[in-house]
Amino acid sequence: MLRFVVRRLLQLIPILLGVSILLFAFVRALPGGPAIALLGERATEESVERIETELGLDQPIYVQYGRYVRNLVQGDLGTSTRSRQPVLEELKQKFPATVELAFAAMLFAIILGIPLGFLAAKRYLGFLDNASLFVSLIGISFPVFFLALLLKYVFAIKLGWLPTVGRVDVTRSIEHPTNFYLLDAVLTRDWEGVVDVLKHLVLPAIALGTIPLAIVARITRAAVLDVLNEDYVRTARAKGLDPSVVDRRHVMRNAMLPVVTVIGLQTGLLLTGAVLTETVFAWPGMGSWMLEAIRFRDYAVIQGGILFFALLVSLTNLAVDVSYAYLNPKIRLSR
Amino acid sequence: MSLAQAEAHELELEQPAGLWKDAVQRLKRNPGAIIGALLISMFVFLALFADVITSYGPGEQVGSLGGNGSPPSSEFWFGLDKQGRDYFSRVVYGARLSLLVGVVSVSVGLSIGLVLGSIAGYFGRWVDGLLMRIIDIMLAIPSFLLAIGLVTLLGRGLVQVMIAVGATQVPLFARLLRGGILAQKESDYVLAARSLGAPGPRLLLRHIIPNSLSPVIVQATLSMATAIIEVAALSFVGLGPSQPGLPEWGLMLADSASRLEQGLHLVLFPGIAIVLSTLGFNMVGDGLREALDPKLKS
Repeated sequence: MLRFVVRRLLQLIPILLGVSILLFAFVRALPGGPAIALLGERATEESVERIETELGLDQPIYVQYGRYVRNLVQGDLGTSTRSRQPVLEELKQKFPATVELAFAAMLFAIILGIPLGFLAAKRYLGFLDNASLFVSLIGISFPVFFLALLLKYVFAIKLGWLPTVGRVDVTRSIEHPTNFYLLDAVLTRDWEGVVDVLKHLVLPAIALGTIPLAIVARITRAAVLDVLNEDYVRTARAKGLDPSVVDRRHVMRNAMLPVVTVIGLQTGLLLTGAVLTETVFAWPGMGSWMLEAIRFRDYAVIQGGILFFALLVSLTNLAVDVSYAYLNPKIRLSR
Repeated sequence: MSLAQAEAHELELEQPAGLWKDAVQRLKRNPGAIIGALLISMFVFLALFADVITSYGPGEQVGSLGGNGSPPSSEFWFGLDKQGRDYFSRVVYGARLSLLVGVVSVSVGLSIGLVLGSIAGYFGRWVDGLLMRIIDIMLAIPSFLLAIGLVTLLGRGLVQVMIAVGATQVPLFARLLRGGILAQKESDYVLAARSLGAPGPRLLLRHIIPNSLSPVIVQATLSMATAIIEVAALSFVGLGPSQPGLPEWGLMLADSASRLEQGLHLVLFPGIAIVLSTLGFNMVGDGLREALDPKLKS
């Protein structure tokens, strides 16, 4: 097992190097540049040149890349040209926001999706089954920004139950030891803050969690259907075991394998795929950060952010594979 | 009837219906697939006959400028937008654009993916290793960000947007076809054909690829849905096709997103159009998957 993990981690190195080279070439191929983005279209040639010299952009590209990798290895992701902040510092602000949102969304998807899929499988071809299949199909077909806008309209604008934008009320000041606002509020025992943060989290989490919800429900249904037809389930029932014990111990436990895989992969996707939800709810996370960076040709932020995403995606995939092998003895033995 | 004719006749009777004939039969019995096909047909119909169905052009100003448009009425079914254009016409013409974008970008992704996938699957060894590492790199970058990046790089023309969305689908198709080819390569009929001396390329084109295509076709249908949503999403963040006044559903949504309260219908109609069209492709794709899956055949 350990050898497998180490081998996979080593395989990551060329992938990440490849991503970094691609990114490096990509940001420099973008029309315009940080100098133009900072100074505006009508900037004079001298001032553009001055900024480019300042940023080291006048040097040959391989020199720039060499310096970038050298800094990267030392944990320095560079400095944002727009905010003049170290990229790593900004990352520490933005990433927790996205993690908080993604986990809330995934929680929503799991809490509703697994029971829904289970019930659908138990009532195979019945009304509940067909209804849940249809609902999950609609869930997959709903563009997240449209859903986000509708939720915002109904619950924030019309009913006024929930806030429309942001992570916390602008008038509220809470301390941020971790930048996970919910955790921050709990740690500082600011209970009103907890409620406020939760209120801000509800709508974006539902919007972001709907597609994973549909997918988790579908996979759970398919997995439970598979297991229900197994001989050992029939045996367990035949020997007179309480049906709820059969469901819990024999059906669910064995059906969870593919579900766990999907949950892992979807979490990886959510961590990187929240651009649209973050846009609608003005959520200051990774997605809106990247969008801004591309708009303002903020080279260091684009490179640092996407490289971080790539690392994240690769690690999530690895974690899924490892947990899969851990949960399934057949796979474990074959390695 | 001679003995030989009788035998031939019998052989004909025993001829199995074939994968596709079977699949069509099964699709016809699947209510979901039929509803999906009806939805797609409706949008194809709207796209083809947009100028007959609507009384106004998509950019034609028929009401007053400014304000928040007017709500649906008997004359303007979907109301007017804030530039005084008939919203029904714009949504209908939007179908033309979305279907076009879907078909072109999926074709782009499909064709590049197929070429890469078959090269990787057929040649194997270091060619496979190299191509799959490139695919891994593409997959490590979130697809929507990849599309955003490509649009920023290539520019915001309609063609560029379609290429960008298509490019994000390349890894998926390449992997699917590669997997299929790897599985087929070891099968008995390929070994048999090879031992009869069938040349490699012919084997690949006539036998292996056609037999690996069914998951690719299912994915292509589902990808139509993804492509429609992705282009709308690009427009939504301000990176869609940039021709002014283009009746693109995502753009129409984005234009009205900040004034939800004053003009909900301006968000609702293009949004519903996106949902219904993607729903159609998803339903047909699901139906196809069930129809083509040999495991479900018994």
